[in-house]
Amino acid sequence: MRVPLSWLREYVDVDLPPEALADRLTLLGMEVQGIERRGADWQRIVVGELLSVEPHPGSDHLLVTTVRTGPSEPLLTILTGASNVAAGQRVPVAVPGAVLPGGRRIEVTRMVGRESQGMLCSGDELGLTTDADGILILPSEAPVGAAMADVYGDVVLDVDVKPNRGDALSLLGLAREVAAATGARVRWPEIVLSESGELAADRLTVEVADERLCPRFVARRVDGLAIGPSPLLVQARLTAAGMRPVSNVVDASNYVMLELGKPIHTFDAAAIEGGRIIVRLARPGERLETLDHVERELSPDTLLIADPRGPLGLAGVMGGAASEVSDGTTAIVIESAVFDPVSIRRTAHRYALRSEASLRFEKGQETRLARIGADRVAQLVAAWSGGRVAPGRIDTAPEEPAPTRLPFRPSRVVRLLGAPIETGEMRALLARVEIETTTARQGDEVPIAAGMPGIVLDAASAGEALVAVIPTHRRDLEIEADVAEEIARVRGYDRIPGRLPETPMPVYRPDPRRAVDAIRDTLAGRGLDEVVTHALIGPADHERLGIPTEDPATIRVTNPLSVDHSQLRRSLLPGLTRVLVENERQRREDLALFEVGHVHERAGGEPREHSMLGVLLAGDQAGAAWNQPPRPADLWDVRGLVDSLCARLGIEVRHAVRAPSIAPYEHPGRTAVLQIGGPEGRAVELGRAFEPHPRYLESIGARATHVAVALLSLEALQEALRPSHRYVPFPRVPAVERDLAIVIGERQSAGEVERVVREAAAPLLRGLRLFDLYDGAPLAPGERSLAFRLTLQAADRTMTDDEIDAAVGKVVDALAGRLGARIRS
Amino acid sequence: MDLETISARLSALQEAGLAAIAGATDPEGLETVQVAYLGRKGELKTLLGGIGALPAEDRPHVGAIGNRVREALEAALDARRLELDAAALDARLAREAVDVTLPGRPFRRGSLHPLIETNREIARVFGQFGFVVYEGPEVETDVRNFQALNIPPDHPARDLWDTLYTDMPGYLLRTHTSPGQIHVMQQAAPPIRALLPGRCFRYEAVDASHGFEFFQVEGLMVDEGTTMADLRGLLDAFAHAMFGGGRPTRFRPGYYPFTEPSVAFDVQCVICDGAGCPSCKRTGWMTILGAGMVHPVVLRNGGLDPERYQGFAFGMGTDRIAILRYGIDDIRMFIENDLRFLEQF
Ligand SMILES: [Zn+2]
Repeated sequence: MRVPLSWLREYVDVDLPPEALADRLTLLGMEVQGIERRGADWQRIVVGELLSVEPHPGSDHLLVTTVRTGPSEPLLTILTGASNVAAGQRVPVAVPGAVLPGGRRIEVTRMVGRESQGMLCSGDELGLTTDADGILILPSEAPVGAAMADVYGDVVLDVDVKPNRGDALSLLGLAREVAAATGARVRWPEIVLSESGELAADRLTVEVADERLCPRFVARRVDGLAIGPSPLLVQARLTAAGMRPVSNVVDASNYVMLELGKPIHTFDAAAIEGGRIIVRLARPGERLETLDHVERELSPDTLLIADPRGPLGLAGVMGGAASEVSDGTTAIVIESAVFDPVSIRRTAHRYALRSEASLRFEKGQETRLARIGADRVAQLVAAWSGGRVAPGRIDTAPEEPAPTRLPFRPSRVVRLLGAPIETGEMRALLARVEIETTTARQGDEVPIAAGMPGIVLDAASAGEALVAVIPTHRRDLEIEADVAEEIARVRGYDRIPGRLPETPMPVYRPDPRRAVDAIRDTLAGRGLDEVVTHALIGPADHERLGIPTEDPATIRVTNPLSVDHSQLRRSLLPGLTRVLVENERQRREDLALFEVGHVHERAGGEPREHSMLGVLLAGDQAGAAWNQPPRPADLWDVRGLVDSLCARLGIEVRHAVRAPSIAPYEHPGRTAVLQIGGPEGRAVELGRAFEPHPRYLESIGARATHVAVALLSLEALQEALRPSHRYVPFPRVPAVERDLAIVIGERQSAGEVERVVREAAAPLLRGLRLFDLYDGAPLAPGERSLAFRLTLQAADRTMTDDEIDAAVGKVVDALAGRLGARIRS
Repeated sequence: MDLETISARLSALQEAGLAAIAGATDPEGLETVQVAYLGRKGELKTLLGGIGALPAEDRPHVGAIGNRVREALEAALDARRLELDAAALDARLAREAVDVTLPGRPFRRGSLHPLIETNREIARVFGQFGFVVYEGPEVETDVRNFQALNIPPDHPARDLWDTLYTDMPGYLLRTHTSPGQIHVMQQAAPPIRALLPGRCFRYEAVDASHGFEFFQVEGLMVDEGTTMADLRGLLDAFAHAMFGGGRPTRFRPGYYPFTEPSVAFDVQCVICDGAGCPSCKRTGWMTILGAGMVHPVVLRNGGLDPERYQGFAFGMGTDRIAILRYGIDDIRMFIENDLRFLEQF
């Protein structure tokens, strides 16, 4: 909320410089987010008096004025194109050398043969009002020669009023806060009405269909008024507060909204059929043209202000065009009502019409303000437009609630705050925010939380408890903790001493991030760069993975910022490849990246999150240099990386198998499914390692041709982690190595060979390494020779040659028997 | 042949042999010399082969001379061999000399993302005070994200969080890590000291200080006697760990529906040290987190008795802490993953 200090001072004395005041308010919870000095950018702009105004002989739209800017200043001749000036008026004058807001300089100029020694300013040019049509006519008491900034400059504080403090969304409310901070007294505006003419009730009735939606409706009528501009001071205040001055009637209701925090609407009385106002919900098919000249179809749960003919306005949100106060209006009806906050909020959201009024209604309204606001607007309209206030109010619920009693225990406040505050000090602090305190009675109930029974005070505890008498404007104070906050707030949070907890420690809990951090450290140690990419990606990203836009397993955002970020990622791949493409644009084409993040899917009507590890290698992986040739990334890089990562974590990658089915983004011949050992010896799928399909790389705009990816389940990795790590004694007896060149046919894979060798040599095999791969003559076409080095070792003895030969023989037999493989010698 | 002749020949052979040894310039030449003089068919053997023609009493004498010659030659050979080996090694080393100022073989540097590392650092600091890490889901229920936190539907405070909703009724993308408070209270009994890092989402246009995805860390401490003074003490300790000991902090009222009293926690601006600069809007202070005493309604929704238990919660933007910690001026850097950025971490 924008608070012009000159206006605030109407309600409370402020002796502090603006910065100090801002600090005090901030420390009180009314955070000042900015201080604006209005008029600081008016240089050499003074109050002038027009001595004469004559037509320019050479122009039919220019006027020549003579301007006095002080008793000893030379008279200035200034030309103006505005037509609203007359001799005797006081106006803002930019004298030669002046600078206007925005940096515009004013010098002596010539216009149609006459010299102009400066410029007469409009309210808009100064930013003082929003009127750009004519010269700003100042009140006749404006001191001639005074700098405009000294007379009309102001300081505006931008205060962030929190949603629970709707009462402070007003000058009066903030004046209360200033008073709490400084001890000054709050001055209410003097509201005195002189009523005359026919009784309002004779020409105006109000029917409320549902009192829950409109607990109170106060109406007044003002007749015989003339629409015109409101006083300059009012226009300047409204402008400074961020509202556009419109007319004396509209400005009066806006003025009161800012002054009291009470939104008020005014209708042209002539537009209300039969003087009958009906507050009701919309009927199916009803339509209304609102003030913004949009014809709206009304949904049936919209609360309306209507007359017997139909809707007049959206209650609390926006009036209707047909009943708008306009230049020809001579009588108005003032609506000062209290509406159900939820209903207003829903209506404002539904029609995307959130206004200063609806924002205040949403936060709830103090009941008595309906009466006070109606009177105040009537008073101001009468003063500014010459209207007569019709005697009496129409009021659907004249009874006003009394302050509520909120019992609380000072000892509980101390226990919560951890600060030793005496009860007497608490009472004094609360008094500064208009909260009186009395002693509690046996049987009083201390409210702990809404929807929960309170603590009933017995005779002993009642003696130590107090009752806070909550003024009706403080709708936010409902439970004991609210009182604690109020005490702490007025006393100053900064006076709460800091200390380290002495309460018991929680039981040990293993850190769920430990494994993830070990993986991250390992990969970064292997030279990979960690990235963080968006969890929200676009349907196009999913389409490229072969997942249709409407795929039922994809979770979509119904109100996305853009379509590119409208679906929760099913895979880390699009994010990783985007990093590749973005860095390629910076000519960084050799990458090794990883990301740890969640992928999402919908399964059985529930959202599912899976923690994943994605690795992407692209371009040269060796680090080509003067002493080292490049090695473009391929499947073996990523396979080796995963193997070494798993080994580091104590997990064995049991198998890599050829993927039984291939996704559209995978190279059909270079995609492996990686498996690790799971519980009870089952193989658990860890994830996939692959080179992306060239068409996929093309589709994302990647230039890279050598890319390798691994997408692994972190959950599988974490589950496979051994809970406790035990040292395995290694045999001290010599190991022997035997090389076997195994020839297999087209249909067999290295993985199968490895599996057979491992099983056949099982108890003695300590190591198995493929050290050569050969195809070509003299092998038959399609045949390959895999040269494995077996390391054999018994646990407890040196093996004899016979034993070794027998073990190798068993392997050879198994290979021949199960795979039809032969040994090349 | 007589003794004298043979003696003369032997000494001549020694002379010639020593000369040949000295003249050898490489190990192969030396080998040739060795074979020529001392080999099975070498000159010494040949000469001594004629010993049978001598009178028997002269033979031992000649044998002794022959041995001396052999020893002299062998000694010379060994010495020369060492000389030649040393020279050869020197020559090899000379040949192997390189320009040592050439760069080494490159290894990838590797890096850890500053956001995740900042989360880890935050967890490390609070870990010293007994806080343990929990995790909550990114796709949350409206109930846990709002209602259980004392934010009913249509509550004006919902405006504080511009929410991204999903096409799964009742589910949204969590707007903060605070629903983690409920998760923790439902699975752990007091005393609770919990930390919940995670990714959050808001309907927010992207600029230098906002994004629709960001990271937060939530903290929760609940037991029978946890006070606002404990909150202050821990936050001070955290601020000093993160931004330097002795840096002034400020505790002021804030507003969250799920805390009461609510707190905004400021540290003295790390850029201007309190003098006032554009980064701190000339206030000299920077707000680094929001906090407060857990609202009784939230404790109750977490299954705890709000009369018996009390505690505090705080939530901080990892991005904000990271920005201040590393001096980054645009949070978009975190998600752009430009290698020139990543390589600095
Ligand atoms: Zn600063």
